[in-house]
Amino acid sequence: MRRRQGRVGNAICHVYLLILTCIAVFPLLWILISSIKGKGELTGNPTAFLPKTVTLDYFKHVINDLNFIVNIRNSIIISLATTAIAITIASMAAYGIVRFFPKFGSFMSKILVTTYIFPPILLAIPYSIVMAKLGLTNTRIGLIIVYLSFSIPYAVWLLVGFFKSVPIGIEEAARIDGANKLVVFGRVVLPLVAPGIVATAIYTFINAWNEFLYSLILMNDTEKMTVAVALRSLDGAEILDWGDMMAASALVVIPSIIFFCLIQNKIAGGLSEGSVK
Amino acid sequence: MLPAIIVVCALFLYPICSSIFYSFTNKNLIRPTYHFVGFDNYVTILTDKSFWNAFFNSLKWTVFSLIGQLLVGFTAALALNRVKHLKGAYKTLLIIPWAFPSIVIAFSWKWILNGVYGILPNLLVQMGICDEPPQFLTEKTLAFIVLVLINVWFGAPMIMVNVLSALQTVPQDQYEAAEIDGAKKWQSFLYITVPHIKIVMGLLVVLRTVWIFNNFDIIYLITGGGPAGSTQTVPVYAYDMGWGTKLLGQSSAVTVLLFIFMMAVCIGYFAVIGHWEKEDK
Repeated sequence: MRRRQGRVGNAICHVYLLILTCIAVFPLLWILISSIKGKGELTGNPTAFLPKTVTLDYFKHVINDLNFIVNIRNSIIISLATTAIAITIASMAAYGIVRFFPKFGSFMSKILVTTYIFPPILLAIPYSIVMAKLGLTNTRIGLIIVYLSFSIPYAVWLLVGFFKSVPIGIEEAARIDGANKLVVFGRVVLPLVAPGIVATAIYTFINAWNEFLYSLILMNDTEKMTVAVALRSLDGAEILDWGDMMAASALVVIPSIIFFCLIQNKIAGGLSEGSVK
Repeated sequence: MLPAIIVVCALFLYPICSSIFYSFTNKNLIRPTYHFVGFDNYVTILTDKSFWNAFFNSLKWTVFSLIGQLLVGFTAALALNRVKHLKGAYKTLLIIPWAFPSIVIAFSWKWILNGVYGILPNLLVQMGICDEPPQFLTEKTLAFIVLVLINVWFGAPMIMVNVLSALQTVPQDQYEAAEIDGAKKWQSFLYITVPHIKIVMGLLVVLRTVWIFNNFDIIYLITGGGPAGSTQTVPVYAYDMGWGTKLLGQSSAVTVLLFIFMMAVCIGYFAVIGHWEKEDK
């Protein structure tokens, strides 16, 4: 009796998960399908699922004629720079918190978490005023500085969880063997935490890549825009064509999804560990 | 360590202080000069009908989205925790919405729901459920419901992943012991599972509440606050005021109010969670 009940329960779980999966995946699927359908198919037959003819025209149009490639390059540069700087600073800070100032560190982590509750729109106003004063509006450096403000606290928070998992015994052993603090950090601790750092780095990259509000406010020049904002300018433009919009969306969302799948297990663990302790 | 503190202070404390400062001035996005106006901005806002409209929209948006995300995320995690086959595949596919940039969320759903060429309205007509394609994003109540559902679609995966990892930390032998003692399934759920994941759930609720309440992108990009202000929330209202009508001073006042409200909510939440943590010890 119990076993049969278990099997029915199992089947219900599968059905439920299957339905959710379809809903979760459908928009992505629909973007991809719409972006390769032949001319006229999108508006001609809205409910046809599979394309009659497959074409890459929309992609070509978006990349070559709409100069989207420039915006993709901007986004890559900005996201990479943000990630590199944030991870360097955050990993030193996280290590310091865990090893040298545990008391002060837990206080510090709480402060870092509270930064999360600042409404982005609250920060947007002073940031835009400050950047205008410094003459950094419409520059990549300005946007990178702004991105660092939210990616560093978050990266520190995630990294503290990873650094905590390094047993202190290993470090003490290295110290006894005559290694100084810097060597211990570089040669012993970093390699052990490397997977965590990579995961945090990817997460930072995705967040910078996906960010919209600050980029909207600080970058007005089409040549300087990130992909997210450039994409928005397609919306409501004269040339508005759903095929173009879907092709452009595909270009933006695919890197995000690939990276995300790579780190899915790491991030979940980090989030609950970092927050609970 | 030190660099992080400096960066955080410079990038957070300064903006907060200057926001509070500007909220007492008539600072304009274009004009360089400004002077003090005392509490005028706050008075103007608190007597503005559209501010209260935005505020109540924000509350509705947060409560409904949060409940939806928790419900879907939590049940999905329970289901995932139970099935043995295809677990990894489900999980990978289910978290896809989480990776969506807000602009792509907006584009994909606007395309799916498009009143003329969208697949969903047209399918509903074809199946005979509706006589003509429903206008999901231009009808007031419908637009709000659709936005909440899209937010659930986007946010549930994050809840799911975190609840799942919390579920996996629950010691299995406790379930076995409970079963030997003759406990029913729902009893072991209530007395073993719930206490173990309570704190993680609490933190998730805090994080999600803050995120949803502060969210600007999804609403701004899908409906822009329309039709007729029916989906305008406080962050969208603040943006329109600061960059639409260029009244940065007033806009600052709105964001300061938003921040104070958020702080109050979080302090309440943390009091509850702190109480739970004490119980655990």
